[in-house]
Amino acid sequence: MIRPILAALVALTPALPAVAQDLITRNRVGPEDAEKSLSFRLTAFDLYSSDPATREGFEALFTDFIEAHPGWRIDTQLSTGNIGQEQARLLQQTQAGRGPDCAMIDSSQIALFRDTGVLQPMNAVFDAAAVDDLFPYVRDAVIDAEGNVLAWWWFTDLRVLYRDTRLVPEAPQTWEEAQAAGLAAAGQGSEGFLFNGGRWEGTAFDWLANFWAQGGRLVDDAGAPVFAEGDNRARMLIALEYVKGLVDSGAAPSRVTAITDYDAFNAAAAAGSAAMFVGGNWQYGQLRQTLPPEDFAAWEVSELPGPTADQRATGAGGWSIGALSDDPEKIEMCALIARDIYAGAGNALQGLLPTSAGIYDDYDVYAGPEYDLFAAALENGRARPGAAIYPEISNQIQIMLGDVLSGSATPEEALDAAATAVQAAYDRR
Amino acid sequence: MRRASPTPGDAPALPWLMPALAMLALFYAVPVLDVLRLAFSDATLIRPATEVSTRAVAAVLSNPALPQVLGTTALFTLASVIALQGVGLAIALLIVRGERRGLRGMTALRTLVLAAWVVPGIANGLIWQILFSEAPYGGLNSLLGSVGLGPVAWLSDPQMALVSAVIANTWQGAAFSMIVFYAALRAIDPVIYEAAEVDGARAFTVLTRITLPLLRGAVLVNSVLVTVQTLNTFDAILALTGGGPGRATEVLALFTFNTVFYNLDLAGGSALAILLFALAMALALVLWVTLGRRDMRA
Repeated sequence: MIRPILAALVALTPALPAVAQDLITRNRVGPEDAEKSLSFRLTAFDLYSSDPATREGFEALFTDFIEAHPGWRIDTQLSTGNIGQEQARLLQQTQAGRGPDCAMIDSSQIALFRDTGVLQPMNAVFDAAAVDDLFPYVRDAVIDAEGNVLAWWWFTDLRVLYRDTRLVPEAPQTWEEAQAAGLAAAGQGSEGFLFNGGRWEGTAFDWLANFWAQGGRLVDDAGAPVFAEGDNRARMLIALEYVKGLVDSGAAPSRVTAITDYDAFNAAAAAGSAAMFVGGNWQYGQLRQTLPPEDFAAWEVSELPGPTADQRATGAGGWSIGALSDDPEKIEMCALIARDIYAGAGNALQGLLPTSAGIYDDYDVYAGPEYDLFAAALENGRARPGAAIYPEISNQIQIMLGDVLSGSATPEEALDAAATAVQAAYDRR
Repeated sequence: MRRASPTPGDAPALPWLMPALAMLALFYAVPVLDVLRLAFSDATLIRPATEVSTRAVAAVLSNPALPQVLGTTALFTLASVIALQGVGLAIALLIVRGERRGLRGMTALRTLVLAAWVVPGIANGLIWQILFSEAPYGGLNSLLGSVGLGPVAWLSDPQMALVSAVIANTWQGAAFSMIVFYAALRAIDPVIYEAAEVDGARAFTVLTRITLPLLRGAVLVNSVLVTVQTLNTFDAILALTGGGPGRATEVLALFTFNTVFYNLDLAGGSALAILLFALAMALALVLWVTLGRRDMRA
């Protein structure tokens, strides 16, 4: 009896997965003997994701894509997890003529790639209407002075304030309210207000929202560092005093100077030790999966508090896709991958925030109230400046925050040291 | 009078050394010379060298952060080398003594210690980052709390962060020192210990008057190797603290990495790499001259 049932099950097994397996391997999408090929360097978060649902979703998208483009094969190259090192290597390889035809480029690196002239315009695929639908800060980053589409920034993210409403019922709108709420929560035995303060990019980018909310500028129009000059210097010091006050008052624990990833906040939320934290929008879904439903129901998101309720900003990042080949056919293929696989369908599959306003209306996944908040907060979104000196500015801000929060330097001393180091690095370029 | 037949030692050495010299030149000398060339250029990670210049070297040497980085490197290296030697010797003594007494489990202990050695530096940093977590549910602090101690600011306090980095480095590197000392201890003639026992020597006297003097050669070799190894350590610190808080744990190797990959300054990074190389060579020479001479006189 069992044998016929098994035979029937085998016969009824859908043929699609077998086809997908043939078309998709660890280093290829499409038939091995295809006439034309495109090398594509991608991150490990989608087609080769460790999450089965994400991987299977992207396998289906890539399968549909390659079947719609007969004669093509995509040779996939997986990038490593160290973004800074990986992107520097990608740029170096491209300049030496050994880079891939198409690649994922972190939004923070678009300016560097643009300035070195390795990005090939993808105007044939993205028309004026598509460009107009991009959020302004996205458009500014990917479009050059001549109106060329140099890369397609396919998803964005932003930082928001997460809070446990059992400890912090009302969303703090200002820094003063945030400190008071952190202190009150700490008084009830929680850790209060958590944020990145260790030595990594997240620390600088999260904190910069406090500087940008006051109207601060890191670089001038020519890309020269100006963050420690004139009004910007005063804004830097005010933003430094704000986070220093959080730690010194006990509203935030001193351990924030050792926090170097967003997962620490998920862990604190799961352990019930945090009252508030500055996290990424993607953590909303993670919390939903991690916390018991009754605990998750207690967590809410709101815009990051500002110096006043009217002064808000949030750092917005994400990934783009750029064409690095001179071959027009490969450039078009690269742009089509960005448009047909990642922007839109790829966004919805992972719940990532699209960079085009229209996509939010196209997919039901964006119907949740949290997306209304994210979309509203993106109005105050600020991308990293399009200047090649940014990575060093970030490095020095991380050092500056570590020194100030650990009490190793005063805000003035730390800012002066950062400014000197960044200026020296800029002068050497 | 018959002439003695030629021995292998009579043959000229150079032809026999040529393959090894060629390999060394190819895989060590050429990269070192290339780094030297880059240090005296204006190369960046995104632009090849266009001129010969001493500006990168001058910029590196006048960098206000360099004294702090060198100070951190010196402290980290000194503390690590002392800890690595001490812990490695203690484990080796324990194993040799256990083996001589026929205790069970000595092979398992040796294997266990060696397991830490094969852990990649990044993984080592991540493991210790979890243990040192200062969250209320952090590993070590929870243990300390259960006996009424702590909590300790393992990673958020600048001084403690350096201590934590030394602990993580020692945990991983002690196995190497253990191997060196274990081999040297096994080579000591047991008759010497038997004679000491007959003379009624105490354990401490045996250690200081017999074991340690006979280990002088091993101490020298191990000192040179672990010093160079510790100077080059950056991956474990990168994963553990990233060099922070501030620059509290930013050693020279990590500073070099940051100069190249944050600053994209290939020439500056090369100049720092040369400095690191020079420091390692100088320290090795100092150790060789001080410990080596004593060893020859002994």
